[in-house]
Amino acid sequence: MNRARREPASAREGELFRSLAVVCEPTRNGAEVVIEALGLGGVPSAFSYTDLFEFQLYPYASVYLGVEGMLGGEARDRIAGFWRVLGETPVAEPDHLAVLLAAYAELADREGDAPDDEARSRWRHARGAFFWEHLASWLPVYLGRVAELDEGFYAKWSELLRMALTEEAKRFSAPELLPLHLREAEPLGDAAEMAGEEFLRALIAPVRTGCILTRSDLERCARDLELGSRKGERGFVLKSLLGQAPKEALGWLAAEARRQAKLLRGWPEAFAPITGFWNERAMATARFLDETAGALDD
Amino acid sequence: MTDLKKLNERVSAARRETEARGETFYPGASRIHLASFPPKERWDDWVELDSKSWPKRVEKRYMLIPTTCFNCESACGLLAYIDKDTLEVRKFEGNPEHPGSRGRNCAKGPATLNQITDPDRILHPLKRAGKRGEGKWVQVGWDEALDDIALRIAKAMREGRQREIMYHVGRPGEDGFTERVMAAWGVDGHNSHTNICSSGARAGYQFWCGIDRPSPDHARAKVILLISSHLETGHYFNPHAQRIMEAKKSGAKLVVLDTRLSNTATHADFWLATQPGSEAAVMLAIANHLIQNDLYNREYVERWWNWKEYLEATHPGLEATFESFERMLKAEYEGYTFEFAAQESGVNVETLRRVAETVATAGTRLSTHNWRSASSANEGGWQVARTLFFLNALMGAIAVPGGTYPNAWNKFVPRPIHLPRHPEYWSELTWPIEYPLTMYETSFLLPHLVKDGRGKLDTYFSRVYNPVWTNPDGFSWIEMLTDEAKTGLHVALTPTWNETAYFADYILPMGHSSERHDTHSYETHDAQWIGFRQPVMRAARERLGESVGDTRHTNPGEVWEENEFWLELSWRIDPDGELGIRPFVESKERPGARLTVEEYYRFLFENSVPGLPEKAAAEGLKPLEYMRRYGAFEVERDVGPVYEREVPAAELEDTVVDAHGRVFSRAKAPAPVNLAPTGAPPGDAEGRRFAGVQVGDRVLKGFPTPSGKLEFYSPTLAAWGWGEYAIPTYIKSHVHPENMAPDEMCLISTFRLPVQIHTRSANAKWLDEIAHTNPLWLHTRKAAEIGVRTGDLVRVETHTGYFVVKAWVTEGIKPEVVACSHHMGRWKLNEPSSGAVNAQRQLMATVSLDHTGSDWAIRRKKGAGPYASSDPDTSRIWWTDVGVHQNLTFPVHPDPISGMHCWHQAVRVKKAARGDRYGDISVDIEKSHQIFKDWLAKTRSAMDHSPDGTRRPAWLVRPVKPVAKAYKLPEPVVGR
Repeated sequence: MNRARREPASAREGELFRSLAVVCEPTRNGAEVVIEALGLGGVPSAFSYTDLFEFQLYPYASVYLGVEGMLGGEARDRIAGFWRVLGETPVAEPDHLAVLLAAYAELADREGDAPDDEARSRWRHARGAFFWEHLASWLPVYLGRVAELDEGFYAKWSELLRMALTEEAKRFSAPELLPLHLREAEPLGDAAEMAGEEFLRALIAPVRTGCILTRSDLERCARDLELGSRKGERGFVLKSLLGQAPKEALGWLAAEARRQAKLLRGWPEAFAPITGFWNERAMATARFLDETAGALDD
Repeated sequence: MTDLKKLNERVSAARRETEARGETFYPGASRIHLASFPPKERWDDWVELDSKSWPKRVEKRYMLIPTTCFNCESACGLLAYIDKDTLEVRKFEGNPEHPGSRGRNCAKGPATLNQITDPDRILHPLKRAGKRGEGKWVQVGWDEALDDIALRIAKAMREGRQREIMYHVGRPGEDGFTERVMAAWGVDGHNSHTNICSSGARAGYQFWCGIDRPSPDHARAKVILLISSHLETGHYFNPHAQRIMEAKKSGAKLVVLDTRLSNTATHADFWLATQPGSEAAVMLAIANHLIQNDLYNREYVERWWNWKEYLEATHPGLEATFESFERMLKAEYEGYTFEFAAQESGVNVETLRRVAETVATAGTRLSTHNWRSASSANEGGWQVARTLFFLNALMGAIAVPGGTYPNAWNKFVPRPIHLPRHPEYWSELTWPIEYPLTMYETSFLLPHLVKDGRGKLDTYFSRVYNPVWTNPDGFSWIEMLTDEAKTGLHVALTPTWNETAYFADYILPMGHSSERHDTHSYETHDAQWIGFRQPVMRAARERLGESVGDTRHTNPGEVWEENEFWLELSWRIDPDGELGIRPFVESKERPGARLTVEEYYRFLFENSVPGLPEKAAAEGLKPLEYMRRYGAFEVERDVGPVYEREVPAAELEDTVVDAHGRVFSRAKAPAPVNLAPTGAPPGDAEGRRFAGVQVGDRVLKGFPTPSGKLEFYSPTLAAWGWGEYAIPTYIKSHVHPENMAPDEMCLISTFRLPVQIHTRSANAKWLDEIAHTNPLWLHTRKAAEIGVRTGDLVRVETHTGYFVVKAWVTEGIKPEVVACSHHMGRWKLNEPSSGAVNAQRQLMATVSLDHTGSDWAIRRKKGAGPYASSDPDTSRIWWTDVGVHQNLTFPVHPDPISGMHCWHQAVRVKKAARGDRYGDISVDIEKSHQIFKDWLAKTRSAMDHSPDGTRRPAWLVRPVKPVAKAYKLPEPVVGR
């Protein structure tokens, strides 16, 4: 939603989300004013930003909602489609978290600015749909990992965002159907017959496994199992770990899936359909990996 | 636990505080929407990676300096990115601080870069060396040109030949600067392009509300009704289009009347492909639906229409009650049924009914717009705007949120340092006696009026105007311009070569948008703002601490700007003050010295723009510094219904209220802060001035019409001989099927190509590559009938000649209509020779121009093609076709009331004849002159119909109003 320039107005509902969006962009001159207004303290270092968003937790919905576990694809198309339904031309990266939050802020503002009840109702409907389909569908699992991987600035930011999302969830009750991204995603179990490379790719597709495997997770795995850690993209690293100690690595991954499922517990009841999905996926992944590891004994 | 609501408020407060300091809260460039603009606090030193250095990461540092676009009329904000190493403009992007365009631009804005770097542009003053039109020029200095022109004008003035001095403007791009120059000279020599552009619509609006332009508040509308293609082209199209889309996203319905399947039509909820000229019938059918079903705003109509005047004039026997009026209103319009409108327009009854029902749901949130289009194309086209605004008047949708505002309330024109005198002369060449109600100068009739001996031109300035190409009947212009007995000296002020400049004696190069000063304000939404166009290189150098003498010193070559030119020329015309011009161009800061543009704008911004000094001071800037930094300032927003404002008691003294509620006062009127043009209602017979209208027990400002009300009934039209058209009605066009021969069809020639703009953009290579030809839209059925396919040549015969063009077979147009955009068909007479550039080459064909007696012809010799120049892209030009210049074949069709040239043509379309070649044009200008006389015979001259011994109603808007005595009917009689 491209936003026309608006004059300073009184407090707008979307303001908080727009300012939170600023934080998941590379920090620029001037961002410190926004950060201060949010009460987040000092500006994070470029290292913190780069490590978190460039190496560990890419801030793109498609990575977490797409069955490929990669940027783009059908998940991004669905989000772009939402823009098109509203008559907008999608931006280049409609699934970037900053864009999603800013778009949500715009929808909130438009609802607030609507000239009559009919228009207001339409914007409200769009806002609710956007919230559940494209924000609530993945942020619970994502923000949990943010808080874990950056204990400082970004943990505070993720907590603020979690609170803001919780407020919004009270405003819009969860729809009966799960978000399309989640309904359409096949679980890892279905990949049992896949070839090795495909299996590896599926393991790093969060929507299929229910958990997010970051670079640092894989390094932790290597450390825990005292395996050699190869440098490369995650699929390569994972392949290396599984190659060195397949049974142990699979066991570690199963335990990790169970551990990450627990991270979802802090989310309120309003998110139950979403957190339930991710929890079930993680637990199913854990069971599948345990079974696979067990099969190796045979 | 964090209180999110408080946090949200805290962020908002921080944003407001930051923005109040003139800084940007949301930093850019980023993905967060319009925060992608560089924050304004970093416009002095903005860093971007150099795209041409990729994959290396080379940082480029820029100064960002605002100006405004000078291509179409919208004057959208631009930001020039000036490379700090080379001090060259690297690109233009949108200016987020501009209230009208809000940082957005169409393709024409960024393409300004092409225009300023065009290898064919004119960089030095040129003087004709051979015969006019021969194409031989010598470079001269500015002093030589200025002295020569100044001496000539001064001589004419001393000899009492003020009427022979004329300034003819195409794109003004500024609010009144040059009009005031003409007034300072004491000449009624201002001549605009208005009668080939917008006179029709202006007349429709002026007769209703005393203000001649509409300002639709699209963004807040519930129903938007366009008689135009405003989502793709037209006046204020970028500012309007973005607001129309906002409204659509909020659920507004869009109704578009357009005979063609235009880009605008494709976005409409209701697309009405009306028969050309039938638009007023459709409007009246909608009005009739509202009237017969009591769906209009009764309270508003009773309060603000001059219905009593109507009853008195047309039904004197009736009791003057609103109920009587309502009965008469129903009777007046009952014949305008959907069936009638369907018959006229070709749109089916059910669609018309649905549109009318949709309009009825709008309440006061009905925004409507018509500027050129049907109003400018049909005899009686002014009634299109009048019947369109009728709907607003019925619904009370005037100057309220979501409605349509009279433009003067959404426009701000500041008072300049000097307000000049009024000329004592009346120009018969621009305001002929037959057109007392014309909405501005009948500019396109000039060659015919000169031919008829009504006057001649000693000195003629064409300024960013190309009448040979743009006007109808261009061969008559060539005839006038090449005849030295008719045109003594022709000075073309232009940034680039054009067809009119070829016939000039001097070509004086003037700057593009980033090379000149102007202020302007346009009615883009319910607000008043001013934009500041400035020479960005001059501003950059001054920002770096340099002192710049005048704009020539920072522009390419010797390119100047008009404002400094006019000041200097005026100074030289009257070096000793004998002619009374000097006081209007003299410095107040340094008496005895010439006024500079610096002082002109400094005075303007410090003294005449409410709120600007305070806003600037809040940022530690002086007003001129603020405008140089941001390029725009919003004076007021949400102006609302000015007519409902109470007249202050101090303005009411010894008042008289007449029977219609008009209030006249002896109190002196306060000096206007805003000089936006409006009607000037006359005072009473005892010398009181019009102060307002009595509504209930209050005196309200009302409308600037003679009645102070919305004039459903125009006493002006009735008094000046046009009583049958005094209320909104339907006039059958000259291209109505009843007025055309059975084998003729209507040619629509007025539509634009979205990326081009008249003759302003031929030197923009990016735009030329996108759009460079103008095939004839021809319906499949008609194409089959005459046996042509897309790409085949067809001959289009008008009443004076023909042109040969390629066909584009489509179902996007009605079968009985053809269409050809006027944006194409540029030509030049000479190929550049001996290395001298004397023509624009990217979009101009080379042609031969021949004539025998009154028969004139153009034949294409060569199309566009690649050529070597300082710009490597010119060697990559792949197109040869640059379209066909159809306007040459159009006779003049001056509407007898508005004076508007009625552009639509009755034509015969045939498969090209043997020997016909693409681009052939043939015209007999004697026929054209006869058609001029035929249309002149339709007029009702002031000599016969003036009710008060004057030539024109004094209350009507007129650029450069002469003194009252000049309004008196002439002796001896003219025009007979």
